[in-house]
This record gives sequence, structure tokens and C-alpha cells, in this order.
Amino acid sequence: MSITNGSPDTRLSRRNLLRLLGVASGAALGAGALAACAPSSGGSNEPAGGATDDGVKEFHFTAWSLNEASTKDTLQAMVDDYAAGAGVKITTASYPYNDFLNQVLLQIRGGTLTGAVQVDVAWLATLAATGKLVDLQANAGGGYTDAALGIAKVNGIQYGLPWTTAGIGLIGNSELLDRAGVTDPPATIADFEETLRALKGLGGGIVPWAAMTKVDQLKDFIAWMWAFGSPVVENGKIVIGDDASVEALTWYKKLYDEQLIAPDVNRFDARALFAQGKVGFYEDAIAGRGAVTSASPDKQIAEKMRPVARPVKNSGDKPRNLAWGHAIVVVQGPGAAAAAKFAAALTSDPKYTGQWFAKAGLPPTTTAGLDSAEVRNDTFTANFATAIGAHSEPDPFWVYPQFAQIQQVLATQVQAALIGKASPKDALAEAKQQMEALAK
Amino acid sequence: MTVTSTTRPIPAQDRRSARTTPRRPRRPRPVAAAVTVALIGVFALGPVYWLLVTALTPDSDAFAFPPRLWPRRITLEHFANLAENPALLRYLTNSVIVSLTTALLTVIVSAYTAYSFAKFRYRGRRSLMYLILASQMFPQALLLITLYLVFSAYGLLNTYLALILSFSTFTLPLCVWMLKGFFDAIPDELIEAAKVDGAGQGAIIHRILLPVSLPGLIATGLFAFIRGWNDFIFALTLAGPDKQTLPPGLVNTYLGEFQAAWPDLMAASLVVSLPVVIGFIILQRYLVAGLTSGAVKG
Repeated sequence: MSITNGSPDTRLSRRNLLRLLGVASGAALGAGALAACAPSSGGSNEPAGGATDDGVKEFHFTAWSLNEASTKDTLQAMVDDYAAGAGVKITTASYPYNDFLNQVLLQIRGGTLTGAVQVDVAWLATLAATGKLVDLQANAGGGYTDAALGIAKVNGIQYGLPWTTAGIGLIGNSELLDRAGVTDPPATIADFEETLRALKGLGGGIVPWAAMTKVDQLKDFIAWMWAFGSPVVENGKIVIGDDASVEALTWYKKLYDEQLIAPDVNRFDARALFAQGKVGFYEDAIAGRGAVTSASPDKQIAEKMRPVARPVKNSGDKPRNLAWGHAIVVVQGPGAAAAAKFAAALTSDPKYTGQWFAKAGLPPTTTAGLDSAEVRNDTFTANFATAIGAHSEPDPFWVYPQFAQIQQVLATQVQAALIGKASPKDALAEAKQQMEALAK
Repeated sequence: MTVTSTTRPIPAQDRRSARTTPRRPRRPRPVAAAVTVALIGVFALGPVYWLLVTALTPDSDAFAFPPRLWPRRITLEHFANLAENPALLRYLTNSVIVSLTTALLTVIVSAYTAYSFAKFRYRGRRSLMYLILASQMFPQALLLITLYLVFSAYGLLNTYLALILSFSTFTLPLCVWMLKGFFDAIPDELIEAAKVDGAGQGAIIHRILLPVSLPGLIATGLFAFIRGWNDFIFALTLAGPDKQTLPPGLVNTYLGEFQAAWPDLMAASLVVSLPVVIGFIILQRYLVAGLTSGAVKG
């Protein structure tokens, strides 16, 4: 080695560039080789089987609700109560909701996650594809409704125990509707349009309908394609781009152009605007009520929230809404049987389901729980169940493990049509092509 | 009768200078500079001001439209709520431990590496330099999965070491190049003079080069500290609940499935950033000196 004066020549000559590319390629190959050497878990839809009792009384419970301000104390108390009563030890962990699926997937594939896990029902197919979920059919005898059990199944296998289910539907502001002279909720899409125009006439910056126009929540558009008569997925084939779906998107664009819906709105924005009394309608799950009431200066806002059945194209048609819900799954590993019993208790024992409804506002999934006085006497919950929950069905893309990417494609093309980058027909044709490629 | 002059004769030198000295131009008022600084200040400090205003606003007014530059009602409840969340202190402690250790480790390793690149010539030196630079081309997310599997295999998940090592992977390359530029600017005559005085390599590095390079070392350390302090995805994935740092901890606590507690989040962000802000204010002269006097030279 020697010391020379001055800095060496580090200009990016052709020789240096080629050397750099060669080194970078070598590093990339090395990284790929390292990743290839990593243990891989089998990806299959075959269940890991039921949970056989291994006598282990310690397990993990991973849930995002364990850290959210509105639910953490209640849920932790329920977990502690169960652990004390059942003589088990439960170690809890939590990740933010928006990163939860990625973290859980990574840990399941890495073999570091076992026990009970709170999931969104939309994630079930993706998690089931890891082959690490336990079949909970043996634990599903807690009086769950058939509809709730159905939502927590993938390919007929009971991978999850339903914790709460409802739908995503329209919620109206009764005060604004009264001011606009709307006495009955709109039954048809034509009525709905007229109601929106009446709300727009109120002025004052009122957004008639805070419909989703941001990509992250444009999955709501699926329910409107249903409303116009498109099956969206039929016999396992994606049929987006048919006449009904094009008609739906044309209608949506018309509302956008008439400023009956606003640009750049997602569900957080819609809740905030509704809480400020600036929105006639918005779409939400039942749990959104808590978010709206806590952020509103109007102490009466909760009474003004009115669930509305989704308008249909022709009078007499059945409204259809996207289902929404939470379930608890169990990942195979030590203590899986104990975790399965815990999952069943948390989701069906009236002691826990009653507490969860009282504190989090999330209705239970058992017949007994739904018939309880607390649930029946809650006007909003009862109306929501009648108008929306009773007409909810799973998102047709949940069956695909890559459902998130598929929905992203659809949402991107719908937004492109809204802002005029593509015609509704071309946008949906492009969406169908890309979605079919992902679904293979 | 003699007439004498009462005026003092002007020396010849002064007569010449009176003819040749140009009139000094009037200094322009630094209005443009002041306006520029003010605009930059608004961009830089405006979000911090909004952070403070939101932290003092009640939940029900946080999304009031039109937004107000000063809240109609002021509340300290969001700051009081911090006391009900002892986990925040744990997140802060974890962040300080991990970021400080990352900064120290990065400075030590990158100082020796940069010295080697700057002051020695040997076979493979350039290839090594470019290899280090090439690692910056990979998105961090690409490294995350591999690191996760490696740490899992060695039982390092949910430990401080996992975070420190992973943060160091993306702070070291740039810090090496920063310090190399700094060392390149140090004249070789200094080193030769030390050798003439009988100093060995150890003495040259520790008694001459490093003290001279102190601003660069501090700037590099602060840069590595910031990178570790702000990281979210590595801290969320590699650290368990006990070792979570501030970014994932704050998100986990305040951003939920249905609502985000923005005023509480703003209050927590303000409070936990105070120690770091104070530290940076104390060390800012080193940061400025390090960035402007050779740390970023190629």
C-alpha cells in the first residue's frame, strides 16, 4: 500500500461504469442466492388440519386492536380475564392495521408467528394460501350465524371464527336530508341522483355524497357495479367491462363532473367531513360511527347518522353491499389448541361479545349475541343490520390471495376514468385485462 | 509686508488619492436575501407550527373547515394524555439507544474505511469503493426480507442488535463516501510530517487525522443518527413490541383501522422530538462545518 498525493481519479469513465455495473450485478446475484437459500414455507390452500391438543397452555395473540386507543384497554382486560379463568398464559403483540397483513404474512412464512391472530375477513384467502392456518370447524359450535361463519370460510374450510361482521353501506345525515326536503331515503338510483342534487342546492360547501374517489378505497365501486346489474365475477371469470359495469362507471363519472361527489376523498376524509356536518351521504362500516362521533363538534351527530339501503337500478331489485368483518384465525404451532379455544371464547362467549359491543360498538356474530337487549336496543346497530348488514356479501376478489393487487388495478382504472384519462369502457377493459393476468 | 497662507497645504499623496479613490458604492439592503430566508423558513417551520397548533386543538375542532392558524379553543388534554401512555417512554428509549449506537458504529467503521480509501492505494480499492456505492442502488425494502430471514435464523429478531446492524447496512455506504471526501481534503504533507516525527499509523489516525476531521465525523454521526431515528419499516419488522422505536410505536398507538388520533399524535411527536432538537442545536455548528468544508466533496 502507498500514500499518494491528491485524490485519485474517480471520474465515471466507461471502464468505471462497466466495473460498477459488474459489481452491482454480482451483488444482486448474491442477494438473490441468499434469498433463495432462505427457508421457504409451502404455499398451498391445504389446511394445516384441526388443532390437536398438545397440552401446551401458552400461546400468542396478535391483534391490531390491542394498541388502538379506543379498544386496547377493553381487549387487554378481556384477554387477561380469559387467561386467569382458563389457566393459560397469553403473550400479546400488535402491529398497525395498515401494515398488519404484511407483518403477519412475513412472520408466518418465517415460522415465527403462532397462536391466535385477529384478521380482516378480506385477508383470509391470502393467509390460507400459506398452508399454516388451523381448521377451526371443531370450534365453530358457539352459536354463530350461518352468514357469519360463511364469511370466515375459504374454499369451504372454516379458517376463521367470525368476531364481528356487517357491511359497508350508505350512511346519511338526517339533518341535511331534512333541510333538503328529503323525507324518504332514496330507493332507486334515479331517486338517489335527485337527492344528491337537492343536497347540493343547500350550498355552504356541502358535499352531497363523499363517495370514494381515492384509489385506496375505490373498492366501494364494486357494490355499484352490482347495483347496475354487473356480476363482476361470474363462474370464476372476471366480467368487468360488461355493459352494466360500463354504465355504472359512466354514471359515477357523471356525478363527478356534476360535483355531486368530490375529488380525492377516502374513507378517513369522508368521516372527517361528515363529522363536520359537511356531507349528505358517505359509505362506511358500522364501526365508523365511533370515529365520526369522537371527531365531531356536534354532540348530536350520532343521532343524525342514518343507515340507508343502497339504491337499486330498478324498483324491486335487491340491494347488495360489500361485506366487512373481523375474524380470529389460529396459526399452527405449539399451543394451537389452547389458542383455538381462546378464539372461540372471545368470539362467542356472551361475556366477551357483550363487552366488545359496549366498548367498541362492534356487533357480535352469534344468534344469542345479536338477540341481546344491548344490541337490539341500539337503534343505529339495528338499522344498520336491517338496511346494510342483511344485504352484504363477500367481495368477489377475496378468493384470490392477490386480491389487494387486483383491487388496486380496478381502483386505478376507475380513477383514470373519473379524471378523464380514459373513457369508462376503455378503463374497465384495461382493468379486466390486468386483473385477469393477476388472477392466473 | 508678508502674506502668509492660512490654509494647510494638501500633501501630494492626498491630492493623488483624492483624484483616484473611487466613491464607495452604497451597500444594497439585503431585502432579497431576507425574503428568501423568510420563505424557506415558512416551508421549513410551517409544518412544525401546524404540529403545535393541532396538538393544542380539541379533537372536535381538528378538522374544522376553514382551518384556523390559531385554534379557537386551546386544550392541553393531548399532552396530558401522554402520561397515560407509558409505552411512549419505552419507544423513545429504544430509539435513542438504537440510533446512538448506530451512529457510533457507523462513524467508527466508516472512518477507518474512508481513511483506507482516501490515503492508501492497493489492488481492489476501487472495486471495493464501487461495491460499497452499489449497495445504495438497492431499495431498502429489498434488503428487509433477506435480513429478516437471516436474523431469524440466528435468533436475532426482536433485539437491539438486529436494528443496529440493519440500520448500519444503509448508513455505512454513504457515510464512508462522506468521510472519504473529507479525508481527501487533508493534505498528505500532514501525514508525511507526522511520519518524519516518528508517528506510526495508529498515531497518525488517532492523533492527527481524526481530531482534524472532527466536524466531518460529527456530521457523519448526525446523518447516521437521523437515518436510524426516522426509519419505520425495518423497526416495525425486525423489532418486537419491547424493542419498537418511535416511528412504528407512534403509528401503532395513534393510527388505527377506523380513526387516527391526530392531535394526540402531534402532541406525542412534539414532546419526543424535543431531546433530539436540543441535541442538534448544540451540535449544529459541527454539522454545518462538516457539510460545507469537505464532507460532501466527491
